[in-house]
Amino acid sequence: MSIVPAFPEVLRQILKKPVTNLFPARYLPKSITGFLNKVAAGEATINPPVALPPNFRGKITYDRDICIGCKLCVRVCPAHAIEFLPETKTVRIFVTQCIFCAQCNDVCPVTCLHMSDEFMLADTNRYSENLIVE
Amino acid sequence: MSNKPVYTIPIGPIHPALKEPILFTFDIQGEVINAVDFAPGKVHRGVEWMGMRRNPVQIVHLCDRICGICGVSHTLAFARAVEQIAEIEVPERAHYVRSIIAEFERIQSHLLWAGVAAHELGFDTLFHLAWRVREEAMDVIEYLTGNRINYGIVQVGGVRRDFTEDQFPRIRKALETYEGLVNKLVTLFLEDTTIKLRCMNTGVLTEKDALELCTVGPTARASGLKMDVRADAPYAAYGDIDVKAILPDVYADCIKGDVYDRIVVRLFEVVDSVRIIRDLMDQMPAWPVLWETRYAKILSTCKKAEGEAIGRVEAPRGECFHYVRMNGSEAPQQWKVKASTYSNQMSWLKILQGEQIADIPIIVASIDPCMSCTDRVTVIRDGSPDVMTKDTLHRLSVEKTRRLQA
Amino acid sequence: MIPMITAAVLGCIGIAVYGMFFGLVLQGVDRKWAARMQARYGPPLHQPFIDIAKLLCKDNIIPKNAVKSVFNAAPVIALAASITILLYLPIGSIMPVLGGWGDIILVIYLLTVPGLAMVAGGLASGSPYATVGSQREMVTMIAYELPLAIAVVAIAWRLNAAGVADPFSLVTLAQTPVWGVVGIPGIIGLLLLMLAIAWVTPAELSRVPCDTPEAETELCGGLLVEYSGKNLALFSLSGAVKMVAMATLTVVLFLPWNLTWFIPLTGAVGIVADLAFFVLKVLLVVFFSVSLIRVGMARFRINHLVTFYWGYITLIGFTGMILLVLDAVLGMGVVA
Ligand code: SF4
Ligand code: SF4
Repeated sequence: MSIVPAFPEVLRQILKKPVTNLFPARYLPKSITGFLNKVAAGEATINPPVALPPNFRGKITYDRDICIGCKLCVRVCPAHAIEFLPETKTVRIFVTQCIFCAQCNDVCPVTCLHMSDEFMLADTNRYSENLIVE
Repeated sequence: MSNKPVYTIPIGPIHPALKEPILFTFDIQGEVINAVDFAPGKVHRGVEWMGMRRNPVQIVHLCDRICGICGVSHTLAFARAVEQIAEIEVPERAHYVRSIIAEFERIQSHLLWAGVAAHELGFDTLFHLAWRVREEAMDVIEYLTGNRINYGIVQVGGVRRDFTEDQFPRIRKALETYEGLVNKLVTLFLEDTTIKLRCMNTGVLTEKDALELCTVGPTARASGLKMDVRADAPYAAYGDIDVKAILPDVYADCIKGDVYDRIVVRLFEVVDSVRIIRDLMDQMPAWPVLWETRYAKILSTCKKAEGEAIGRVEAPRGECFHYVRMNGSEAPQQWKVKASTYSNQMSWLKILQGEQIADIPIIVASIDPCMSCTDRVTVIRDGSPDVMTKDTLHRLSVEKTRRLQA
Repeated sequence: MIPMITAAVLGCIGIAVYGMFFGLVLQGVDRKWAARMQARYGPPLHQPFIDIAKLLCKDNIIPKNAVKSVFNAAPVIALAASITILLYLPIGSIMPVLGGWGDIILVIYLLTVPGLAMVAGGLASGSPYATVGSQREMVTMIAYELPLAIAVVAIAWRLNAAGVADPFSLVTLAQTPVWGVVGIPGIIGLLLLMLAIAWVTPAELSRVPCDTPEAETELCGGLLVEYSGKNLALFSLSGAVKMVAMATLTVVLFLPWNLTWFIPLTGAVGIVADLAFFVLKVLLVVFFSVSLIRVGMARFRINHLVTFYWGYITLIGFTGMILLVLDAVLGMGVVA
């Protein structure tokens, strides 16, 4: 069948399992947020996303107690996502601005910045509490 | 035929056949294209402007985002330019890491293109198949660098993450997957009657035209030009291994320079990339991977640097070219990016001429255009876009050179 | 006379509802199958219903330079014509509502009406994409009509040669499987004709590889590019109904058997069994001539389409017809 080589290929495929990862649900729920709320309430189950690799760079975490206020992270942040707070000598990170490069993690002398596994960060408000780390 | 009325069809700036904004204007007679014109500049993002307000360590991450597909190529070209100016010696192992990621990028980019091309032909099954097998390369890249796109692995002076011994089996597994897939992909893409019907003798770019229009990358190679930056001016680790430009005669008996030949070149480059990665892995030298781990030192070295340099890299779409000029301040004084599509796009005028409307999408896609990476300028005058002629551009550049010299 | 008309009216309404419902289900099944063949999970089976419901909620946008009357009339005509076809086609062992008033030649004529309505609508919408799409649709129609007509005429002629009265009537066709009256060459001929019809179906329904007039990536939807909201919903419905019509036509011509012919079932049970069997046959036809073909190929260019249908498919049709004629002339099978 080299005239239409795709025919045998698709006929073989129909017997196999589809490869789609059905995240977060098999079919589009009426409302995604409604569905996620239900999941949180334990009324629905979520199909898990594809497993994350070990070095994944997700939402940034910050340990303000050990930060020494050296401002190095502010200097290397490509996205200008880090703001220095002179009163407390700490930093504030705007996650909507962050491009997840982890350069600040590398540069911090006391390693108080880390990248977590969290990636579901969509929000309707750029400045919601979840999206500002300080 | 000739008494049919000529009418004008605009395609773009937004059109389902175009993955990125660009405006084509076609004069059509019946189903045949009489004349073509195109206007890029619809997605200018001011990347260079942003770059000239940042230090090199920040710019590498901006480079990752010039193109979503060839992320590492731009970064690599920029890093090479800066390393030359600042006279930074990149460790051997970093070169290997850079090359391996660049080759995986080529695999995923070519498979992405193959899928898009199939979709343009109305062959969605192959589109799904190509993108499905592309995932393997994406997964390896994610496993090695932490992210699927915008890898953030290249740094001025080396790479930010090393590959460890225990990561090698995963890479080998991916390479085996691709070696097993080659025959299937070749059969499905190159032996299918409908694809042959649509692609053979369509959008022909002769060797002479390819040379005169300064095309680069797979577009040039499909027309028979033996050029590949990896072989012609080896960078990273390509000097240590054997790289040859892939021409369509690896599969077909003659080189026609049509769309079909461009598919051949890209598919066989995937095969070659797999081999290159194997070779690179076999001879990887030892640690370290970064010239200097203290960023303050990198920053101060870059700040002290003065001079200009270019970085050339063979991106999946062709040569990617960065010009950087530093004058002893934090940010570069000048940064110029030339993506491969910039060189290839003029060939559209030639290859679309006399073809049918039906073939516009596949011919346009056949050079693997990347408009966002290409758009460097957009001129707005009195609120409406304006066209810059060659004379104006020449005058402007003379003025700018004077300003820089002053 | 009055009760007959009432029955006909009720029948029409019933058929319209059945056609749209079954058509959308078929589209859902087709999408699911195509998805599985492409290793995708696919949308839910009722996705086409959701799509139509959504389109019906949306505004009709009529372009400024469109010919308003034609632009708005085209989708209605297309849907009405598609439903009319169903009135002449049997469903399982239920004989056609208007079976007594028309024959298969009328059905072939009616099949072109939705296409023509689309052409008119496309030309009336005043967009260059739609104009190109309309031109292509006309060429496509001319290309696939001939093999379709050949197949129908050949089968009717063979039935006539076998002494069957009124061979063009759909009732006759549905009750007399043509396979029963032919000999060996006839069977080969019929298989060839079946192949021809299987390829005509995607062209009738504007599916890949013959979606050239709509060609999403080239013409952004071609003929339908300016249609939106309710008008587009009507066109989609008409496409769905046409799918039922084409599949039923293939079933009537080539697979007319009913379960009740083999298993003695009577009354409602018999009708239901026949209906189930009919649905099965339609699904089979849809799988091979719609889903499989559309996932297995790239889109034709318009000149390839013409060469393909006038050259190869017509040739296959002619060979089939000649074999059927030979079959009758050589006296194989049943000859009157
Ligand atoms: S991860 Fe990158 S972008 Fe985000 S805050 Fe750190 S340096 Fe800035
Ligand atoms: S680099 Fe680390 S220690 Fe310094 S300011 Fe940033 S977070 Fe604090």
